Amino acid sequence: MPFDQTDDFERELRESLKRQPAPESLKHKVMDRRAQNRGQIQSIRSAARQRNRMIWLERIAASLVLAGVAGSAAIGHYAVERRKGEEAKQQVFTALRITNHAFQVMNEQLQQQDKDSQ
Amino acid sequence: MANDWQPGLEQLPDFERLFDEHQSMVFSLALGMTGDRGLAEEIAQDVFVELDRNIAKIESPEHACFWLRRVAISRSTDALRRRRARGFGQWVEIDENHGAQAEEKSSPLGGRIEALLATLPEAQRAAIVLRYQEELTPEEIAATLGAPLATVKSQLQRGLKLLRTKAESKLKEYIRAV
Repeated sequence: MPFDQTDDFERELRESLKRQPAPESLKHKVMDRRAQNRGQIQSIRSAARQRNRMIWLERIAASLVLAGVAGSAAIGHYAVERRKGEEAKQQVFTALRITNHAFQVMNEQLQQQDKDSQ
Repeated sequence: MANDWQPGLEQLPDFERLFDEHQSMVFSLALGMTGDRGLAEEIAQDVFVELDRNIAKIESPEHACFWLRRVAISRSTDALRRRRARGFGQWVEIDENHGAQAEEKSSPLGGRIEALLATLPEAQRAAIVLRYQEELTPEEIAATLGAPLATVKSQLQRGLKLLRTKAESKLKEYIRAV
């Protein structure tokens, strides 16, 4: 049957499927859920902002800690190098003292030999 | 509403106005699809809450109507599938729900036809509800359901035929009337 033709059955069907008014409570429930969703969205946004702030604070704290660690390492490295330098200096002085002592001994021996030969 | 709708501007359509205008349509579509007033009210709530979320995408009054029909049918189909998956006693429920409504109808067949409609496959039911409740053409139904026109025509014909067969076998009043 073409779609523009109707019979009794289709008329009955159309009649039984007439739009019905929505329950009175529907509007109230929808508006409530809408308000609830808006509240949730607000709290989600606020939580996201808070989370972002926390992330930035964590990044700054991590940067400060890293800078501190790097600074300490540099200072430590400088102190170690300085101590090594001091040790090397002491070793050089010791070597010079030993050499000096050896020269003195040798000099004394030579002077003794000169005296003996005269 | 069409006069003060300003597509393309920053102003969003008024949700409450859309609700007032279309609540009956959305509720009736869900009721036609599910045959259950409680479930239809829940579906209508979901549809309007979704409209609120997507209101920025609504371009015109016609688009709002099209969008609401589409989402109402889709949510109803989802609800029926969920109910079936839970093993809900569909047949028992339809009889119980429609028993009361049949008495409210002005036509003696009205409520029973609606009850029989609820026994049709979902796709046929959707096509018939859109055709006989919303008075849409098969082309408009195809656009609303996102289905090919030939499929919609076939669903309408099969649905109507099945409904007649069920009515003839189950409704003595109808047999007497014809």
